[in-house]
Amino acid sequence: MSTMLRLDGVVAGYGAGDVLQGVDLTVDGGSVTCIVGPNGAGKSTVLRAISGLLRPSNGAIVYQEQEIHRRAPDEILELGVTQVPQSDALFANLSVRENVLMGAYIARRDRKLVERRYAEVSELFPLVGERSDERAGNLSGGQRRSVEFARSLMLDPSLVMLDEPSVGLDPKALKVVAAAMKRMVEAGKTLLLVEQNVRFGLRMSTHGVVMESGRVLMHDRADAVLNNPEMTDLFFGGTPTKAPPPTAARA
Amino acid sequence: MTEFIQATAFGLLIGGVYALFASGLTLIFGVMKVINIAHGALLILGAFLAFTLWEQFGLDPLASILITAPAMFVLGLALYVAMIGPLRSAPLSSTVLLTFGLALVIEAVMGLVWGNNSRSARPSYFDQSFDLSGIVLPKAQVYASIVAILVLALLWLFLNRTWTGRAIRAASANVQGAALVGVNIARVSALTFAVGLATVGAAGSMVSVLYPFLPGSHYIWIARVLSIIVLGGLGSLQGAVLGAMLLGLAEVYTQTYISTAWATAVPYVLIFVVLFFRPQGLMGTRLREDVAV
Amino acid sequence: MSTVDTVERIGLDRRLWRGVIAVAAVLLIAYPLLSDDLFYQNMIILSLVLAVGAVGLNIIMGYAGYISLGQSAFIGLGAYTVGIATTRIGGDPFVWVPLAGLVAAAFAALLGVIAMRTRGFAFVIITIAALFILQIVAINWDSLTQGTSGITLPLPRWDISIQNWPFYYTLIALLGASLLLSWWIRRTKIGTGLLAIREDEDKAATIGIDTPVYKIIGFMASAVFLGMAGGVYGYYIAFIDPTAMFDIVISVQIILAVILGGRGTLWGPVLGAATIEPLNELANQQFGGGNSRLLIFGGLLTLTILLLPKGIIPSVRDLLERRTKRGRAALVGGRLGERRALNGRPATATGGTGRNLLEVKGLHKHFEGVRALDGCSFAVEEGTITGLIGPNGSGKTTAFNLIGGTMRADAGEVWFDGRRIDRLSPWRRAYAGLGRTFQITRVFTDMTVLENVVAPLRSFSWRQLRAGAVSGEEAARAEELLAFAGMAEYRDERAEALSFGQRKLVELAQVLMLDPKLILLDEPAGGINPTLIARIAEMIRELNAQGKTFLIVEHNMPLVLGLCEPVLVLASGECISTGTPDEIQRDQQVLDAYLGADFQLEEPVAAP
Repeated sequence: MSTMLRLDGVVAGYGAGDVLQGVDLTVDGGSVTCIVGPNGAGKSTVLRAISGLLRPSNGAIVYQEQEIHRRAPDEILELGVTQVPQSDALFANLSVRENVLMGAYIARRDRKLVERRYAEVSELFPLVGERSDERAGNLSGGQRRSVEFARSLMLDPSLVMLDEPSVGLDPKALKVVAAAMKRMVEAGKTLLLVEQNVRFGLRMSTHGVVMESGRVLMHDRADAVLNNPEMTDLFFGGTPTKAPPPTAARA
Repeated sequence: MTEFIQATAFGLLIGGVYALFASGLTLIFGVMKVINIAHGALLILGAFLAFTLWEQFGLDPLASILITAPAMFVLGLALYVAMIGPLRSAPLSSTVLLTFGLALVIEAVMGLVWGNNSRSARPSYFDQSFDLSGIVLPKAQVYASIVAILVLALLWLFLNRTWTGRAIRAASANVQGAALVGVNIARVSALTFAVGLATVGAAGSMVSVLYPFLPGSHYIWIARVLSIIVLGGLGSLQGAVLGAMLLGLAEVYTQTYISTAWATAVPYVLIFVVLFFRPQGLMGTRLREDVAV
Repeated sequence: MSTVDTVERIGLDRRLWRGVIAVAAVLLIAYPLLSDDLFYQNMIILSLVLAVGAVGLNIIMGYAGYISLGQSAFIGLGAYTVGIATTRIGGDPFVWVPLAGLVAAAFAALLGVIAMRTRGFAFVIITIAALFILQIVAINWDSLTQGTSGITLPLPRWDISIQNWPFYYTLIALLGASLLLSWWIRRTKIGTGLLAIREDEDKAATIGIDTPVYKIIGFMASAVFLGMAGGVYGYYIAFIDPTAMFDIVISVQIILAVILGGRGTLWGPVLGAATIEPLNELANQQFGGGNSRLLIFGGLLTLTILLLPKGIIPSVRDLLERRTKRGRAALVGGRLGERRALNGRPATATGGTGRNLLEVKGLHKHFEGVRALDGCSFAVEEGTITGLIGPNGSGKTTAFNLIGGTMRADAGEVWFDGRRIDRLSPWRRAYAGLGRTFQITRVFTDMTVLENVVAPLRSFSWRQLRAGAVSGEEAARAEELLAFAGMAEYRDERAEALSFGQRKLVELAQVLMLDPKLILLDEPAGGINPTLIARIAEMIRELNAQGKTFLIVEHNMPLVLGLCEPVLVLASGECISTGTPDEIQRDQQVLDAYLGADFQLEEPVAAP
């Protein structure tokens, strides 16, 4: 499997301090990679940097051999990288169909393409066809998440990034979301996700990345990461012995 | 009983025009979170334009929509670039003051250009009515309402069947989400403002036939704007239309059963009453600035 | 920030500024004695009315941030009160002037009651509506007001050589009174409360500020002297009619005076009024009034909002601040000051008393699609430092919001100190003894550190409201608390300049001002260095030893495990476990919660 996405020593922040302090990361084509870590580790920030919403002050982000860390968000969209953000990005008062269609907004001039993509996405997510005229805001949590996934696929991206897809969902909804993710993988998409729910995230994935205080501590096969006893310590207040000492947070 | 039916019919007809008037306002608020107090003044401006077209060229005011609407559209773009755009991120109270100042400026300009006398466009059907077994409906009112419904229908089609319309609705629902799918928020906002002004221009054409008007007439329309906001909320087009209908009925009933003079107080009274019992407006949409967590 | 501070920054001596004002005042008072020119006297009289309006509006708009476009309603009310009373009952119009003030204040109270549950722009709507409705009433209720024919007042009966002096000097007196009122409000807790409302109304509510009442007080204060000035004005013009008395353009002029002069400053509105009125005269004389007047003032309002939203004085101040960045001690990252221990009786017993101070029963709260709290129940024992932990999204901050009152629960009960509080407003909960800090600190950036700590209200009493904000009993108490937090030397700094950690200390001092029984701390250790964390832990222990109970949400495990006992664990909106730190660390359920629901897939997702 070839490397699809690579981060080299990425340093980035929001002014007060750098959230990412030198992130090294690779994502192989066709894999499902999950980033886990405690609060403030910088997980969501990595996704933002990749999407072009945050510019790194140092380091590089390379996608399919192209450097993307200096590009604008819509350029990155066009290259085939989409993101489903953590907080609600759904258009509550539009119908399910319209929500999904809006995913192809930048391609709207090519009607045939949009129709074809919509048909393909509906096949992948039957929910879209079944509830196409319903107001999106009326759906349950898991269903809304699925609609957001469907929307993210309209431009036929190669890399789909999911920011905490499980947050706020009950076990039943989790199953729905897991099934949806599985379908995306079967359709040939590479997934990069950030997860707070460590077990869910790593069980869904082929590879796992553990981050803490803006750096990558561990990068291995998902089951290896999940079964690593050091990791439990990390989440429950101890300091893993192999990790570099965390930098003191600022006053 | 006939009187009641008459009043109800009349109220609904007027409500149709009010609904057209309110639709622009709701659109503008939805996308930009701007309350346009100058909406009333722009309505009267549209009326003056239609009146001039009728007076100079004999053009039927209802037909002149084809000219006034596009003209107001262009004005909308200009105003947006000049002053509304910069205020998208300002607090709500600033935009209220700004648009209020704008309303006064427009009133002044209208006074300077057209003078402060009362005007009214009088096409041939001006004082004719339909008589339906005892219920008298002025032709002007009926025609105006039909045109209003047509324009509203067009607006609906635009919002629901075109990509741009969808982008506008998406941006009103969730600005972040819209930006994420590549919608150019600034451009969509400008367009929305211009469309809002186009609809008010159309409504203005109708007003030129329905009521005598002068530059100072915009104050009563400010009251109607505010009252529709409070009644229907600014959350949706449906809410605004409903609010407009309610206002129309309330005004006509007051006029019929109490007096014409007090009918002008109706919008204000509604504002007080509704805000006292339901501070969030009748339809429950955000009149309270959101509770910060 | 006051005009005086700005003036200081410009480099002028405080005394020089006061001298300038004194000279101006003397000139103003002496003017009619020196000159016979009625034209300028007239202009000054009109300016004075505007100035009274602007100074009053500044209280509700400059301090509290609530914009009123209806201030001229009070002028009209005042004028009509004097007019109606004089023509119906008789007597000298001046006798009725105080009544005019009362009527205006009463109307303001009425509007306030209607508006008090709304926010910001709904208030503007109500004030506009009020103005127009009064005009309509004045036109139509002609049995009382003579409608559009208006009320004509008898001409003054004093010696013609005195000319307009009675009007002139009465208005000066009214301006003086309103300035005094504005100054007094600003330096008491009413003022700090209003400023707090402007900056962060929800936060203000949590520190005991009864926001509707404060707003009504502010609005009444803006109306009372303007009503009196309106009465005088009505007599001066001698003809009272609906159009002139309920004129929207005057409302706009009053707003412009405040905005141009500088909101929130004491003399700014007067400066503004002095600028606006000559413009008004110009519009009337040179351009024939009417539309030109509208154009000028409407245009000015629009331009001012677009270009100079803060006003002349504050804009000048900002400009100067950018130039003269004197080494105001880099407060960011500044060292921590010395801390003083608290004076106070230690509690009779340390540790829990066995009684539950806080009980949460079956709380439910959901936002669109997400269940934040799902039947959450737990209790906090009096006298303990209880920890509240749980993974992200477990509902901890939502629980705090429901307990503190910034949000309403969909279902469930909250009991505090034996009373049910889930229906109470946030300030009543503060009076009951509940205090709370926020994850991202909320301090009032435009006020000084001391004012921030003085602002909270322990209980609703006139005594407290009247208390001085920078001197007196309340201020002394606040200083003590600041010393406890180690922030005493920053007392006169604007809160805006503080670092994140320093703001945390100030927020804590604010909460302590309430003398609370239970303190909810939301991530006290978040985003600060270990030294500060240690200090805060020390403070918590000291306060606990004096009988205060704590409920602390934290992610910093070592801190929680070292400081708290017992520890409550939230997950997926429910409380799943409680126990000592040791027990919690070894609880498999808790571990599961942190690592995520045990999720088994039927088949693997993809081949590695």
